[in-house]
Amino acid sequence: MILKMFSLMKLTFKEGARERAIFGIGLFALLMMGASFIIVNFFMRDLHKVAVDINLSAIGLAGLLLTFFVSINLLSKDIDKHTIYCVLSKPFSRSQYIWGKYLGIMLIISAAFLILTVCSSINILLIKSQYAVWFQRFSWMEFYKAVYASLVMFFLLNAIVIFYSTITTSSFLTLLFSISTYIAGQTIEEVVIFLKTSSADEMALSGGVQKLIGIAQYILPNLSVFDLKVQASHAVIVSNYYMMGITLYSAFYSAILICSATLIFKKRELM
Amino acid sequence: MKSTGQTICVIILLVGGLIVFQQKFIEHRKSLLNTSPISYFVPSKVTGLVSLDFKGIVSDFLFLKLSTLLGDKIIKNEKFKQNQADFIYQAADIITDLDPWFWDAYLMADMVLAWDFKKIDLANKLLLKAKKYRTWDFKVPYYLGFNYFYFLKDNDNGAKYLMEASKLPGSPTYLPALATRLSAYQNNYGPAIVFLTELLKNTRSANSIRPLEKRLKTLMILENLEKQVDRFETLNKRFPADLHDLVKHGLIDKIPDDPYGGEFILLQNHRVFTTSKMIDK
Repeated sequence: MILKMFSLMKLTFKEGARERAIFGIGLFALLMMGASFIIVNFFMRDLHKVAVDINLSAIGLAGLLLTFFVSINLLSKDIDKHTIYCVLSKPFSRSQYIWGKYLGIMLIISAAFLILTVCSSINILLIKSQYAVWFQRFSWMEFYKAVYASLVMFFLLNAIVIFYSTITTSSFLTLLFSISTYIAGQTIEEVVIFLKTSSADEMALSGGVQKLIGIAQYILPNLSVFDLKVQASHAVIVSNYYMMGITLYSAFYSAILICSATLIFKKRELM
Repeated sequence: MKSTGQTICVIILLVGGLIVFQQKFIEHRKSLLNTSPISYFVPSKVTGLVSLDFKGIVSDFLFLKLSTLLGDKIIKNEKFKQNQADFIYQAADIITDLDPWFWDAYLMADMVLAWDFKKIDLANKLLLKAKKYRTWDFKVPYYLGFNYFYFLKDNDNGAKYLMEASKLPGSPTYLPALATRLSAYQNNYGPAIVFLTELLKNTRSANSIRPLEKRLKTLMILENLEKQVDRFETLNKRFPADLHDLVKHGLIDKIPDDPYGGEFILLQNHRVFTTSKMIDK
């Protein structure tokens, strides 16, 4: 069973690597990283912060573009263009197909992150060598922790994409739902915190809305827990316990979503 | 082949047209910006939400926007309006809500609010926010201490923050001694000279260095003039009637020019003052 999943994973990875959009996304991220070389000059003291901000944002933005424009295509295209029949006519179960696809997408995202992290490390190293005095408060460890947290967030986001791919009939709907979930997941924590402040009372939100937000916070994934960019840019130490926590959070959430996706996909009429 | 040549000619003509058009358009854009400057910031409750997981880079962008607005005024020698103090405070507050460790934003707001607007309460409010997050940074209590000493003439709090700063890693070794010395010459320009000299050492942008150097130069002139007033008193057992007395007695060659375009005068309490109040005339 595992071998079958791995062969599907390899197939998905190869298919994804052939997507031309990947090169465009990579080029965009590299240009953004390169721009940090110029932009840091506009700042007075926090040069390390700006360099890290731009490089981590470039990696994050590339991850988002890969998720929304490459990952979605990898599954939805199979269903849209009926190429899924070729795969399912082979001795693969539907759940193996979903898991294989997910692992393949994880591999694509991981490979992209690895390449972008190496490029951004070289970029930061170059900026650091030029402005060493302004990089005293910079930590490679915290930088890589932020990259890892971002990667783990994308594992979860791609599980969400797979989940929506199994319940919707078009890739556009999957894209729409995935983007909405990403935005809601990134903001839900702040909205809940805001509702607990006194200024929220002045807004006089109805009890129904407050309850709805209360329920949403338990259903939606809290994606802001994976955002460690600001901490990394100031070398604020994030504990290993926290890193383990977000890894497990992502793993549990993703596993629930993928298992649910396999259940839905098994029942789905593909004709 | 002929049609390719024609297309290239059309492209060249269009590019030329665009360049000419852009030059004219930029002027229109500038006049539009002058009548409706983009001097607003969206509250952090909204900015924070729409920044998603890109809060760091958004705070960089907003800081650039603020420093461009302030820098433009400094370069053009425009006076700040008093109501702009609240805008600067709010902008810095929003930027530091997105990235609460962002020192450039705290420092720029502190310098402008304290020196140009004399809004020490707002400057200190931001520094206290910085202190909550930048727990390792001696510069935060250092600037707080300075504000208390120099602007608020509050020796107790000034010394307290300087001593706090001296205990943090990387703080200059002279800080504990400075805390003691500063209380000694509370009514002197010395503290400001020491702090500005330190600040200049840590500033790399030419646009920021120029106004600081100008301020430092003025303070050094003021300090020297006050020293000469004291010398005059020691020598003549009386205070000079005005600064011309110092020239007449050969203590200074001439009354120096105020870099800000004002005039140095001797006050009745024997302190030297400038009519420019260190604001460009």
